[in-house]
Amino acid sequence: MNEELDSQLSAMFDDELPAAECELLARRLSRDEQLKARWGRYAVIGATIRAERGVPLNAALARKVNAAILAEPALGAVATPQRAPISAWRWRKGVAGLAVAAGVATVSIFWLRGQTPLATGPVAARVAAPVQQVLAATPVAASSAPAGQADSYVVPRTPAGRSVVVPITELANYVVAHSAVSSPVARRNLLSAFMTSDPGAAGTEEPLEAARSNAQ
Amino acid sequence: MRSSEKLAVAALAWALTAAALADEPKNTPAQWLERMNHALTTRNYDGTFSHWQGGRVEMLRIIHRVQDGTVSERLASLDGSGREFIRTGANLACYLPDKRTVVVEQRPPRESLVGFPALNEQAASFYDIREVARMRLNRRDTHVITVAPRDEFRYGYRLWLDDSTAMPLKTQLCDAHGHVIEQVVFASLTLSPHIPDSAFKPEVSTEGFQWLRNGPDPQGAVAAAPAWYALRLPPGFRMTVRSAQRLPGAAGPVDHLVFTDGVASVSVFVEQQLRPSAEQGAAAQSATVGSSSTFSTVVDGHRVTAVGEVPPDTVRFIASQVKAQEEPAGLQRH
Repeated sequence: MNEELDSQLSAMFDDELPAAECELLARRLSRDEQLKARWGRYAVIGATIRAERGVPLNAALARKVNAAILAEPALGAVATPQRAPISAWRWRKGVAGLAVAAGVATVSIFWLRGQTPLATGPVAARVAAPVQQVLAATPVAASSAPAGQADSYVVPRTPAGRSVVVPITELANYVVAHSAVSSPVARRNLLSAFMTSDPGAAGTEEPLEAARSNAQ
Repeated sequence: MRSSEKLAVAALAWALTAAALADEPKNTPAQWLERMNHALTTRNYDGTFSHWQGGRVEMLRIIHRVQDGTVSERLASLDGSGREFIRTGANLACYLPDKRTVVVEQRPPRESLVGFPALNEQAASFYDIREVARMRLNRRDTHVITVAPRDEFRYGYRLWLDDSTAMPLKTQLCDAHGHVIEQVVFASLTLSPHIPDSAFKPEVSTEGFQWLRNGPDPQGAVAAAPAWYALRLPPGFRMTVRSAQRLPGAAGPVDHLVFTDGVASVSVFVEQQLRPSAEQGAAAQSATVGSSSTFSTVVDGHRVTAVGEVPPDTVRFIASQVKAQEEPAGLQRH
């Protein structure tokens, strides 16, 4: 979706678009599924937040979030190999229990997003920097491997995997099964990504062989 | 008791309390992670959050409840796809309205979503875990914890954890260079002791949908199947689970191997190749789901697919190392 159209949609959502342009955009909304989806999202977000806080949503949210994320400082270069203090890993189980006990009462947390300042520089390229190049060319330093591990090795080059359109039901199988063994944060991220993946890009309607189909 | 004695007792009690508070250790960064995992898996909450990945922002809602030992969870896209994931105990269902399909998977009762292994000393060797700041995030006190990988085989995290609940209010997944590749920020989050059953009903109408379900536990078939394992693994990864199951729509049993370094995990699925001739041209395939990677290849007439929240080359390496050979000593089939 181009910037101009996005801006028009934002303005329409904020009731700032002139009537004539509103009419044109409404016509386009009726036949443009992508635009309709974007409008639906604005509406849902707005309704959700208004209902809870009475705070109007900034219609340029998506752009701001994008820009803010791209402006985030890097987590840091790959850390210098050093062992963490062993004492740090002796868990105190009681702490978690206290946290649960303290939270018996209902706790609500509300806030508005999109407060981070906009990006100030072109950093999109670094976000897209492929890890593959580094990984393929850089052996893992022996000093980073614990006792008992191989001193060093290089990830073997394999034939370049071509981008494949995995049938979405098959992908769902793997995602759901893997989510059961992921860490809580990773599971949420994985499922969220699957929930929001582009249906057109994620799969085809190719039926699974020997599929076990059951009518409800 | 005279008033002077009461005063003395009160003073003593105050002194003891103050001393106890002074001695109370602060949570280490690793303990914050433990608290976060515990909160995410044991508390009841209902939240709406934005999910950013690849330049796209989408809104989702998550509802999580633990009641009488049963975990229920519902994750729904509030946007165009309308997809939903609902878990009730061992029953996992993925609603795909865009494909008019529901995928239902029954997990073995012995497996639990809560059972992710705790961080250990070995995991500490591969990540640099620190608390880098304490800050106010939208009117809440948070601890900013970074989990930075020490090599390129894994991703890192930057987490804003609520001071009182340890819930992650904001989460960033970072690549090996430390740059953000995925972000989740809660717009609203309610922790409530009671969430009704009705919150875990799908909103999507499933009339006329195709239902794909997994079959019965394939114990008999697995006993005769070869043992699959990874010849080599990236540093820090070890196999923690090996089970056999039927995935919805799959004709035969699937071996599910799980490898983890204590933070990241990779699943490897091994299933017999049904159409070897048709798959010759697709021996090596890769795909991504958000920031998670998948890689599929063919080994000895079996399709081996690795899925994990790690860089693409890590799943590729692990998948390429999976072999059907004599089982090494010490590995037990779960």
